[in-house]
Amino acid sequence: MRYQPVIGLEIHCELQTDSKVFCTCQNEFGGSENTRVCPRCSGMPGTLPLINQNAVRLAAKAGFATDGTVNNYSAFDRKNYFYPDLPKAYQITQFDHPITTGGYITVFNGNKMRIHHIHIEEDAGKLVHDDYEGISMADYNRCGVPLIEIVTEPDFRSVEEVQDFVEKIALRLKYAGVCDARMEQGSMRVDVNISIMPVGSTEFGTRAEIKNLNSVKAIGRAIEYEINRQAEILDNGGTVIQETRRFNDNHGDTKALRSKEEAHDYRYFPEPDIPPVWLSDEDIAEIKASMPEMPQSRFKRYTEEYGLPADDANLIISSKEFSDFYDEAVKINPDYKQISNLMLVELNRNLNESEKTISDVTFSPADLAELVKMSTDGVVSKNAAKDILKIMFDKGGKPMEIAKNNGFIMDNDASEIEEIVNRVIAENADSVESYKNGNQKIFGFLMGQVIRLAGKGANPKIAKDVLTEKLK
Amino acid sequence: MALKKLRKMLDEKEIGAVELTRRYLDKIEKTDKNVNSYITVCAESALESAKKAQELIDAGEAGAFTGLPISVKDNICTMGVKTTCASRMLEDFVPPYDATVIEKLKKDNFVMLGKTNMDEFAMGGSSQTSYFGGVKNPYDTSRVTGGSSGGAAASVAAGLCAAALGSDTGGSVRQPASFCGVTGLKPTYGAVSRWGLIAFASSLDQIGVIAESAEDTGYVLDGIYGYDANDATSSKKSYGNYTSLIGGDISKLKIGVPKEFFGDGLNDEVKTAVLRAVEYYKQLGCEIIDVSLPSLEYAVSAYYLISSAEAASNLSRFDGIKYGFRSGLGENFNDLIKNSRREGFGSEVKRRIMLGNYALCSGYYDAYYKNATRIRTQLRSEYAAIFDKCDVMLTPTAPTTAYKIGEQENDPVKMYLADIYTVTVNIAGLPAISTTCGYDSNGMPIGMSLIGRAFDEKTIIAVCDRFEKDFERKECAL
Repeated sequence: MRYQPVIGLEIHCELQTDSKVFCTCQNEFGGSENTRVCPRCSGMPGTLPLINQNAVRLAAKAGFATDGTVNNYSAFDRKNYFYPDLPKAYQITQFDHPITTGGYITVFNGNKMRIHHIHIEEDAGKLVHDDYEGISMADYNRCGVPLIEIVTEPDFRSVEEVQDFVEKIALRLKYAGVCDARMEQGSMRVDVNISIMPVGSTEFGTRAEIKNLNSVKAIGRAIEYEINRQAEILDNGGTVIQETRRFNDNHGDTKALRSKEEAHDYRYFPEPDIPPVWLSDEDIAEIKASMPEMPQSRFKRYTEEYGLPADDANLIISSKEFSDFYDEAVKINPDYKQISNLMLVELNRNLNESEKTISDVTFSPADLAELVKMSTDGVVSKNAAKDILKIMFDKGGKPMEIAKNNGFIMDNDASEIEEIVNRVIAENADSVESYKNGNQKIFGFLMGQVIRLAGKGANPKIAKDVLTEKLK
Repeated sequence: MALKKLRKMLDEKEIGAVELTRRYLDKIEKTDKNVNSYITVCAESALESAKKAQELIDAGEAGAFTGLPISVKDNICTMGVKTTCASRMLEDFVPPYDATVIEKLKKDNFVMLGKTNMDEFAMGGSSQTSYFGGVKNPYDTSRVTGGSSGGAAASVAAGLCAAALGSDTGGSVRQPASFCGVTGLKPTYGAVSRWGLIAFASSLDQIGVIAESAEDTGYVLDGIYGYDANDATSSKKSYGNYTSLIGGDISKLKIGVPKEFFGDGLNDEVKTAVLRAVEYYKQLGCEIIDVSLPSLEYAVSAYYLISSAEAASNLSRFDGIKYGFRSGLGENFNDLIKNSRREGFGSEVKRRIMLGNYALCSGYYDAYYKNATRIRTQLRSEYAAIFDKCDVMLTPTAPTTAYKIGEQENDPVKMYLADIYTVTVNIAGLPAISTTCGYDSNGMPIGMSLIGRAFDEKTIIAVCDRFEKDFERKECAL
């Protein structure tokens, strides 16, 4: 039988706050075990949690980044369970009243993938297993790291929709400064709820939850595996059971962690140590106003208003800093296409070769805008512009000064070129002869000789015209 | 002796701080074996503090608490001093931080005499569930002190400290104060920071004061109240000066007497004494108003559901892994924490944990916890209606006086029902004060409570003080 997968996502994202969500320990990745722990985040008796206002703010921004509604009232609850990496034996989370509700992301095929809600919670610690000694050790550095959990509706029907959604939401969260979305470091973690049903059916099957997916590729492999696993069960007349499964990246398979019957009763109840969070309409408006323009909106602007090809627009928005740089430059010189070209080809070449990112660039968007203008105005040739950009990139400096100091200013004096052309024709009689006998290709060689003698300031158009004329 | 008077004596050098502390320490050594009010006596550090206090006094830099010998309930964290909650689970727990209330008193260089005994994790009304043995009533050592701050109340009654810090979740300051013939103040929820108070039920817990008089409780509250950034539930609505209305005219006040508090189950002698106090205020010119708190009959159930649910969660952290008691048995994590908790907690604590977890289980949540929170809302609005009509409410503190040790502590339902007159105050987050208003035929103290509007401790302290000025207390036997 052919089956249709039905998929929903739960995405955990670490918020980019300076400190943890309920104490003042630093929120960082890595470092030695148990160096960022205090009585509060390790749940010592008599301690109380304190809400990090910036975490609330970033969570609200995640809502705006996904076109959700930020709620005036949200509140914390306790999720109770025993595990050695959870020192209080409860996780503070939002169960009944999340910070945001609703929202969606439109994926590549135009389908809207709806978000149910986003809630704030604290991360747990990590267990380090020493198989050799046969012991486990707890590292509480991650305890109390602020998280948001983004919970979607079961709207996904293919791997591609899931992967596109994950990439898009990661990009938006980066734009909003909410999360650095580094899946390989665990700052963004995706759990997939997946069931299958016969094609054409509207009744969802029993779902399995796949945990531990740390790359877009792993998400794809896990879903493919799970579709096949569940299909095989159904084809053999079996029934899929509701359970939590772990994806093993090395084997490419999923293994059962615990079934529904073994699931915890988390005994949720309102967290009495933290008063509810009230955000006034003004607070919410202020947070909204602080949001940068999101990538999908920029894409629309670049393609519809600026006339850039979709591929180019996608390349620009793939990094907020790159897109910001572009926007600054076109604000000064609205030559959308030329600035895009120079950045996507020449600037990117320099970045790739030097293994730098746009944040490392020392010249300003205004410098780049000026350079493009110098090129389109004929002050320097296009080739010279590339050279100037490289000098700006390597050593810094203003484009006009660089052009002047290096003889890049285009010389529009035809008489000077004429002398050079005459000299080239005289010195390359064989080639001239060959050209006149119909070897059109040799023109390029002769042109090259002219430019070499005339220097980088030569106006290639004038040179070409003069040479053509003289060769007649 | 009144704290104000002690302060004056210290400042005017009628007595030295070291001498004063030594007197208390001597008395503790002599008599506390009969009372068991202290779990830890800090003789050495107390004398050191007293020495330093004297230096400050000599330098003319004494504050309100400099050199005053105070006892601290053993669920309030004290840096470097064992804080056990009277439990085997925390028998050797030494906090690396001070509770905010301790920090505040330390700024003045107060003298902490020691940590007082209590019901394990503050769960109980007899102070007999302590891992370190029960507390005995200084008026009759065959009787209970009440609880859970029984050690605090007994330490004040027996003259083993000048004042005591306790905690009150469902009556744990007021009821032992009532049983031990002293004064106990439970402030408004949020008036005093809970940072460093080892949580029993977070939405109900409040640090309170037990002392010889209403004036003294106000004196101490002035030193410990206030918003604290470390406790998100602490409030900015408190302004101190808690004794400022003392001596003023209270004859214009309206005093509410709720009929539900004088019904079945109230001991006749207690009823008579409390109604005599009502009459006293009437004679002063106060208007006595009949009021009603119809939801009182649900209050005990609501209290035990909410407090046990929160306690079950709060006490989950005690797993024997990071600190506290660890069982020698257990091959893996689950077995280790099961055994640590089985051996580390006493039976009353276990009962509450089971009750609380049951109330929170999916399938039971709506019937138990959710309904309890509805009663909380209902009680708050009934109190709001009462305080539209009157300024303070007068009730008995407990249905009985101190009973014989062993008489009823083993009957949990009877014990829980005895909290009926105190729990509504915690559920509604209000301030209340208990003082002695008579003695029963056995000579045991009878307590009455004055309940006030939120953050209006001043009024109940003044009203209570007025009664105390005209009431002659009997010295305890010890």
